[in-house]
Amino acid sequence: MNFKRDISTKTYSGFALSALLVLTILNVLLQNIPGKVERAGEKLLELNAQEGVANAVTTVVVYFRGFDTLGEIAVLFIAALGIGLMLSSHSKVPHKEESNFILQKASKLLFPVIMLFGVYVMIYGHLSPGGGFQGGVIIASGVLLLLISDQNFEIPHSVISALETFAGIAYVLIGLIGLVVLDRFLGNFLPHDISEMGMLFSGGIIPLVYIVVGIKVGSEMSLIVQNLIKRNDDD
Amino acid sequence: MIETFLSYLNQNSTITAMVNIGSMVLFFIGLFGLLTHRHILRIFISISIMEIAIFLFFIGSTFNKAFTAPIVEEGYTNIAVMNDPIPHALILTAIVIGMAVFALGVSFAIEYHKLTSRTDINEMNEMGES
Amino acid sequence: MTGLIILSTFIAVIVVAFAVVVQKSLPDAIILFMGVSLGSVVLFFVFQAPDVAMTEAVIGAGISALIFLMALKHFKEER
Repeated sequence: MNFKRDISTKTYSGFALSALLVLTILNVLLQNIPGKVERAGEKLLELNAQEGVANAVTTVVVYFRGFDTLGEIAVLFIAALGIGLMLSSHSKVPHKEESNFILQKASKLLFPVIMLFGVYVMIYGHLSPGGGFQGGVIIASGVLLLLISDQNFEIPHSVISALETFAGIAYVLIGLIGLVVLDRFLGNFLPHDISEMGMLFSGGIIPLVYIVVGIKVGSEMSLIVQNLIKRNDDD
Repeated sequence: MIETFLSYLNQNSTITAMVNIGSMVLFFIGLFGLLTHRHILRIFISISIMEIAIFLFFIGSTFNKAFTAPIVEEGYTNIAVMNDPIPHALILTAIVIGMAVFALGVSFAIEYHKLTSRTDINEMNEMGES
Repeated sequence: MTGLIILSTFIAVIVVAFAVVVQKSLPDAIILFMGVSLGSVVLFFVFQAPDVAMTEAVIGAGISALIFLMALKHFKEER
C-alpha cells in the first residue's frame, strides 16, 4: 500500500480518535430513545388510503411532494445539458473495433425483453415497487446494450429532443389543469375511488404523472450514455 | 450455545448498534480514500462510497422488526404495523441527484484531460502555485 | 436470523469497500465498487424498503459504474 501523498502519523492517530469519538457519541445518543416515538408517516398512511393507491411511497413522491419531483427533474435536465454541451460535436466517427459474435447475436435477442420489462416497471408503479425513475433507467440500459454491440446504431437527436420536450410540458400542464379545476397545483381531478385499490386504472392522475416522469428520465439517460460513447476524431 | 448467540443478535438494541457502527466505519473508509488518492477518478469513487454509507444509516435507523413494507396487498392490510414512507421518498431523490452530479463531474474531468492531459490533482495549477 | 444476515452482509460490504480504496489498477476498483453497491441492495431489502432497493440496484450498479468505465476509455486514448 504505497500512497504517494505523505501523511504523517499524527494525521492517522487524529483520524482514528475522531472516528472513535463520533461512534461513541452516536451510540450513546441513539440508545436513549423514549418508548413511543411519534412518526410523521402514520397520518400520511391514513391519507393515502383515501386516494385509492396501493403503494404509499408513490403517493408521497408524486402527489404529496410533487413539487420536489419537479425540481429533481430540473436537476437531471441541467446535468444532461452540461454533458451535451461539452462532449458532443458535429463529426462523429464510430469506434474502431468490431464487437464479438456472441455479443452481436445475443443483444438482438435481449433488447426487446429489456424494453418490455422497463415499460412494465414504469406502468405498474402504483401497485408494486417500481415507478418512473426505475423504468426510465432500465430503458436507458437497454439502449446502452445496443450501442456497444452495433457500430452504426444511433438514435437521432430530433427524436430524443421531441420526447423530452413533450414530457416536460405535459408535467406542468397537468399541474396547471389541477390548479384551474381544484384550486391546488397538482390536484387530483380524475375520479379516484377507494373501492378500486389494486386495479390498473385507479388513483386519478398518479399513474399518468409517473409515466410522464419515466419518459423524461429514460430519454435523458439515453442522451447522456450516447454522448459518452460516441467519440469525435479531431484530437 | 448457537441459539443464545442468535437470539442475542435479534434484539432491537443490538441491531441499532450494528447499523450505527457499520455505516460509520464505511463512511470513514470513504473519507480515508478521499484524502489519500491523487487521481481524480478515484476521488469520485470515494465520494460515492460515502454517499452509500449515509443512505444505509438513514434507512437503518427507522427499522423495527415488527414492521412490514408500506404496500397494501391481499393479506397485509393493517396500517398500524407498516413502515414509514417518508424517508424512502427522500432517499429516492437523493440517489438520483447523486448520480446526475457524478456524471457531470466525470465529463468535466474528460474535457480537462483533453485540454492539458493531466489527471493528477497536484499538477492542476493554472493559477501559478507550485 | 435477521441479525445474523445483517451482521454478515455488513462485514462483506466493509471488506469490499476497503479493497476498493487499496486497489492499484483502476478498472478493478470500478468493478469492486459495483460489488459494494450490490451489497447495499441486500441490506436495503432486509430493512423492508423495496423501492429504495430497486432504485439503488438499477442506478448504482447499472448506470453509475458503467459511466465510469466508458469515461476510462477516453482517458486511455491519449497515451
